[in-house]
Amino acid sequence: MEAAAIHALLTEKLGDAVLDVIDSFEKGSVIAAGSIAEACRLLRDEPALHFDQLMCLTGVDWDGYDESGKGKSVDILGYDELGRPEKSDRVGEGDLGVYYACYSSRHGHKYTLAVRVPRDAAQIPTVSGVWATAAWHEREAYDLVGMTFSGHPDLRRILLEDGWVGHPLRKDYVMPDQWQGVPLQGQDYAKNPFSEDDVVLPARPGQEG
Amino acid sequence: MQVMTDLFASIFGDSMSPTALLITGGLTMALIMSLVMALCAIVFTWLERKVAGFLQSRYGPMRVGGFHGVLQPVADMVKILGKEDIIPQDADKALFMLSPFVIFVGSLMAWAAIPFAPGFIASDLDLGLFYIFAVSSAAPAGILMAGWASNNKWALYGAARGAAQMVSYEIPLALAVIPVVMVTGSLNMNAIVEAQGGGIWNWFIFHNPFLFIGFFLYFIASIAEVNRGPFDMPETESELVAGYHTEYTGMRFAFFFLAEYANLFLVSCIATAVFLGGWQPVAGPVFAPGLVFVIKACLLVLLQMLVRWTLPRLRVDQLMHTCWKVMVPLALLCVLGSGIWMMVSGELL
Amino acid sequence: MSETKVTRGWADQDKPRTMHSELLEINMGPQHPATHGVLRLLVKTDGEIVHSVTPYLGYLHRCAEKIAEGCDWRQWMVYTDRFDYLAPMNMNFGYAVAVENMLGVEVPERAEHIRVICAELQRIASHLIAVGTFGLDMGAWTPLLYCFREREEILNIFERLSGGRMLYNYFDVGGVRFDAYDGFEADVLRMVNVMEQKLVEYNTLLSYNKIFIERTADVGVIDVDTCHQYGCTGPVLRGAGTPFDCRKDDPYSIYDRFEFDVPYGTGEQGTVGDCWDRYMVRVRECFESCRIIRQAVAAMPGGDVMSPDLKKLVKVPAGSLYTRTESSKGEIGFHIFADGGSKPFRNKVRSPSYSNLHVIEKVGPGMMVSDLVATVGSLDIVLGEIDR
Repeated sequence: MEAAAIHALLTEKLGDAVLDVIDSFEKGSVIAAGSIAEACRLLRDEPALHFDQLMCLTGVDWDGYDESGKGKSVDILGYDELGRPEKSDRVGEGDLGVYYACYSSRHGHKYTLAVRVPRDAAQIPTVSGVWATAAWHEREAYDLVGMTFSGHPDLRRILLEDGWVGHPLRKDYVMPDQWQGVPLQGQDYAKNPFSEDDVVLPARPGQEG
Repeated sequence: MQVMTDLFASIFGDSMSPTALLITGGLTMALIMSLVMALCAIVFTWLERKVAGFLQSRYGPMRVGGFHGVLQPVADMVKILGKEDIIPQDADKALFMLSPFVIFVGSLMAWAAIPFAPGFIASDLDLGLFYIFAVSSAAPAGILMAGWASNNKWALYGAARGAAQMVSYEIPLALAVIPVVMVTGSLNMNAIVEAQGGGIWNWFIFHNPFLFIGFFLYFIASIAEVNRGPFDMPETESELVAGYHTEYTGMRFAFFFLAEYANLFLVSCIATAVFLGGWQPVAGPVFAPGLVFVIKACLLVLLQMLVRWTLPRLRVDQLMHTCWKVMVPLALLCVLGSGIWMMVSGELL
Repeated sequence: MSETKVTRGWADQDKPRTMHSELLEINMGPQHPATHGVLRLLVKTDGEIVHSVTPYLGYLHRCAEKIAEGCDWRQWMVYTDRFDYLAPMNMNFGYAVAVENMLGVEVPERAEHIRVICAELQRIASHLIAVGTFGLDMGAWTPLLYCFREREEILNIFERLSGGRMLYNYFDVGGVRFDAYDGFEADVLRMVNVMEQKLVEYNTLLSYNKIFIERTADVGVIDVDTCHQYGCTGPVLRGAGTPFDCRKDDPYSIYDRFEFDVPYGTGEQGTVGDCWDRYMVRVRECFESCRIIRQAVAAMPGGDVMSPDLKKLVKVPAGSLYTRTESSKGEIGFHIFADGGSKPFRNKVRSPSYSNLHVIEKVGPGMMVSDLVATVGSLDIVLGEIDR
């Protein structure tokens, strides 16, 4: 099926939930955040569509994206002359989004769905009930971008440590100075050797008892 | 032991009482057996690495000791002796320290009844074969001790599997040699070897077709007994890190390996003595009996090594299935068939 | 464990005692000889039977996707090497194709042929490791050494070609960085001849060995629906019986010019979708790769190897695109978001091993611990691309 036809079918079935068309290098639809699970279920179960595979689920932080297409998006923090990571007080304001790239093994067509939510209300329903692979991809989106998925069976960090603070793929992410006693900023040891008092090691399991 | 006792008697004559002669003779024999055990462990570590290398289209040890790395085991020993002796904090110390010795001693004791040459046997027991199987049953106990005392779940897995495997495979092992006992009429190892005199076709392996099958059953069961080759589930590196000896380092670890190679040589010696004629030569009069015996046993060891480096390993339940549902019935069939053969051919009169 | 102490008296002697048993929680990894990298599997077992498997990832996480936002488009190519470090050429190929699709630049013919040859050689090299380490997990030490002996030859070719044995830095957006050396084609053809003989040898030694078949047939069966649900691709999906291959069903580069079959599992030794099927798909794919290489070498034209109209600082027009290519482990996808500038806005890497590993949570329960090792080995995961 052609992308336009799929978009028409979606608009027919979901009505207002289909917000816009994605007409970039990939073709798809922008869906309202609350209806994404329903839209995905429709994609999977409708015989003419039969999107039985979720190829990729991508979490995106749209903060600072240059809509004009001239490449003037906000730069991520780099390194200063001493080789230390830059810090910034900038607080991100842009939206967070998720892209779902789907494929149908029966019909051979691809389609992309997109969702966009404001940063302070970054919660969308999970699609792990539709495609089981979404469970881990959504965990990664939560871990790295900070998007929460309601109804997810096990939403916790997957690539980073459980106690990590912050979501690295956000545009306003600043690397912490140290984590559990390990200095992360490349502190100059010769000039400022950290003392034993600065090191806070986590309690080893079984040692307290 | 007789040889040793006679030697001492000839040197010291009447100045030693028979008891003193017995004790000295016995102790010397025990010392010689221990040295043989250590030597075979050293030689076979080297041989194993070379065989593995050549099978895998590489060389194996080449540098230590000049010619093809012959001193590699010595270097390994020196390295192992220099290691720190670590005992895990919550390990059961007594059992942890005891278990290598239990396994080692179980193997060493069985060497008392191996007939290397006429008269050159540590202890000429009338129950020789039975004694060997009885005493080598100490090994599963040692393995369980090692696994349990390590306070390590992987070691526990390996120990449970290892004990189950060794205990199970002792049955086809023993059943496979029962026809030999039937033919000889005696459990005495010397008698078994002497009954195979007169050339290669008198060896028990060619005595009747059931004994031929019995030899292969014994061979396979013996590989399982020493936890080698396709049956090395208890110490499989790819699953259990190192099985029941995960927590052992240094000399204690070396003891496990000494015991494994000694066991390997032990079961090969038993197979040689019982099926392949022991120190009897292929043809002609008896010459260099000790050397003939050792060469035959070494060939069997080589075969076991080739098998280990070629085949993948069996899963634990497949291992047990092979033992209880394939080998034990087959071994019982061999016993029955052997008996019928002997009755029909007139031996059993 | 919080039961109050119950005293038994004479009258209770006919009542059975209640047994209390727990599941044994074992940690396989992060350092473990069988988990193919720094992976932690928390396995809860009841004796030998597995009740649940929970993978813990992230030990090799280097956040290359964040680094992408600070690099140029072409600079980030070297980070793709480090994802699947056993098949870097395939990773590079995927990223190059993804960017070129958005740029609209045309890759010269000679570069396309060299790329295909490199990708297929790399596929063979990666499958050799998969086959060898799978045998090692089963306890067969020797095939591993044989596979590495052949892989050594492939790595020598790559070293002469690009200077590196493991991480090549050879592919680029718009072509390859420099031309192949004199004698490249002769080397490759000789390699392919040797490879086809040796593969037959591996089949004799390992594939049809009775013990190996007993360990792998009917073990770890993953059917097609589970594959689709969990996003498994590559030999895992093909082993389940579907001949789906990105090179055929979603062609990129010049793969539509070559004639090759897509091997898939048929349940020859057991059930469709068991470990043996996945293993055999990899072995047969090596034969098919040899076919492709021969055709590519025969058709190799002359010319330059880098697109002439490519600027040094590449600027990809704004938009998004998900492009997938067939790596040796499965489908490697790059979902690229560009804003028209010289740096990516968001590069998302969809790695095949990430989804392949996910399926172990479903398939693991109910099998024995040894079978778990076999199944994880047959999925052929690389932690570099799982954690990125």
